[in-house]
Amino acid sequence: MTDKVIECKNLTHYYGKRKIYEDLSFDVPKGRILGLLGKNGTGKTTTINILMGYLKPRAGQCEIFGEDIQHISPATRARIALLLEGHIQYAFMTIEKIEKYYSAFYPKWNRDAYYELMNKLKVAPHQKIANMSCGQRSQVALGLILAQNADLLVLDDFSLGLDPGYRRLFIEYLHEYAKAETKTIFLTSHIIQDMERLVDDCIIMDYGRILVQQPVAQLMSTFRRYTYRVEGEQPALSSDKIYHPSVIRDCAELYSFENRGYVERLLQEAGIGYSDLREETMNLEDIFIGLTGKY
Amino acid sequence: MNKAIFFKEWIKTRWYLLAALVVFVSYTLYLVLRVGNAIEFKGAAHLWAVLLTRDAVFIEPVQYLPMVFGLLLGVVQFVPEVVQKRLKLTLHLPYPQPGMVLMMMLYGLGALTVLSLAQLVAFWGFLQHYMAAELTAHILLTALPWYAAGYAAYLLTYAVCVEPSWRMRSLLILMGIGLLRVHFLLDVPQSYNSFIGSLFVFDLAALLLVLRSMVRFKEGCQD
Repeated sequence: MTDKVIECKNLTHYYGKRKIYEDLSFDVPKGRILGLLGKNGTGKTTTINILMGYLKPRAGQCEIFGEDIQHISPATRARIALLLEGHIQYAFMTIEKIEKYYSAFYPKWNRDAYYELMNKLKVAPHQKIANMSCGQRSQVALGLILAQNADLLVLDDFSLGLDPGYRRLFIEYLHEYAKAETKTIFLTSHIIQDMERLVDDCIIMDYGRILVQQPVAQLMSTFRRYTYRVEGEQPALSSDKIYHPSVIRDCAELYSFENRGYVERLLQEAGIGYSDLREETMNLEDIFIGLTGKY
Repeated sequence: MNKAIFFKEWIKTRWYLLAALVVFVSYTLYLVLRVGNAIEFKGAAHLWAVLLTRDAVFIEPVQYLPMVFGLLLGVVQFVPEVVQKRLKLTLHLPYPQPGMVLMMMLYGLGALTVLSLAQLVAFWGFLQHYMAAELTAHILLTALPWYAAGYAAYLLTYAVCVEPSWRMRSLLILMGIGLLRVHFLLDVPQSYNSFIGSLFVFDLAALLLVLRSMVRFKEGCQD
């Protein structure tokens, strides 16, 4: 019996001739919250679309709960709650009607979970979703997801369009729910601070490949930024163990999983005259920038 | 679950259906009054003569109504689903996906059938008072291809809306124009009698195009 809720092997996808990624493999263990991070256009939404069976990859296989994602049965779909980018919902319905609609499909529907969240919004049950603010709509979408009582939650860019208050509310609710009920979550967001509060593991994608896949705590304790001072023109650094070395005036920086000793050796071997070498750990957003670059 | 699907479609389309009902009732009343006036002023015998000698069936103004109704119903039902990207939510519900596609379709076809039948029954109820059964049938049989066009327009609009690529969408639109044109090619009364059944079957077969578009939507086909 596998404890992998999602298992993807060698996913390859192209839009026309443009490669999105090749041989992308990852899995999401049961009870973990995994965040997929990447710059715009690296294939986050493409991955969600493939996972939900809305895009046929050019090659590779994906399974959710052991079922091929191209042929997920209705019973398994009942175990997967899906939040689409922009908190898309049936906006022509009211708070009351949409609850009634969804409840007909989900055997484990938890009406109280939905209305608990709606009561916090202080909106009338007959209020139409289309007339709500983006933040309020996000809470309706979250309420519907929580009420489904699904085993896996797939959330595509849940923070899109939300102000800090609603983002925090969304994250706190989701985190508490996932941990209390041992739910598995696969999500994407373009706001990296949100991920730091929420996810256990992360995958950081660059164009066409995965840069890193590991627990956030491990990443934050092992990935470092090194800064140092240089004078005049210096030779370029080259190593597959350092990321995005750059120099602005006399301040240089580079990122690496390697320790200080390795970086010192590297600088000496490259013949770089440096001083004031500093090593620091970072928050997830800085790690993301360090791995993917600023441009 | 079936009830919930119809419930959702009803909430989405109810104002359009109400407006369509008003238009159908207005058209029906207008034609009934027009024929009624002609009978009052010129007598039923004159109407019979016109009917038999001039290829007129008196309800021609209604000929494009079912087609326009079907087309707009398809637009009201499916354009928001696609533009607002809700179709993915709908297909993610724990319900067999082909079944979901067909249930939404069944709702539209049901609405189309109810309004079309109601109008045809109203015409029949009125005409049979003044005309022989054969002449009433002559008028209604002449009108049948127009109602068949309503089904074709609805199904083709559904297929076009769900189709993910513009190239295929354009092809479907061209096919649709061709198919709809077939319903209005012959203007001699009862010209379609010999193949009206086949025409209805052919129109309903457009649901295969809907299913094909849905498969392409699921595969994420692009231009």
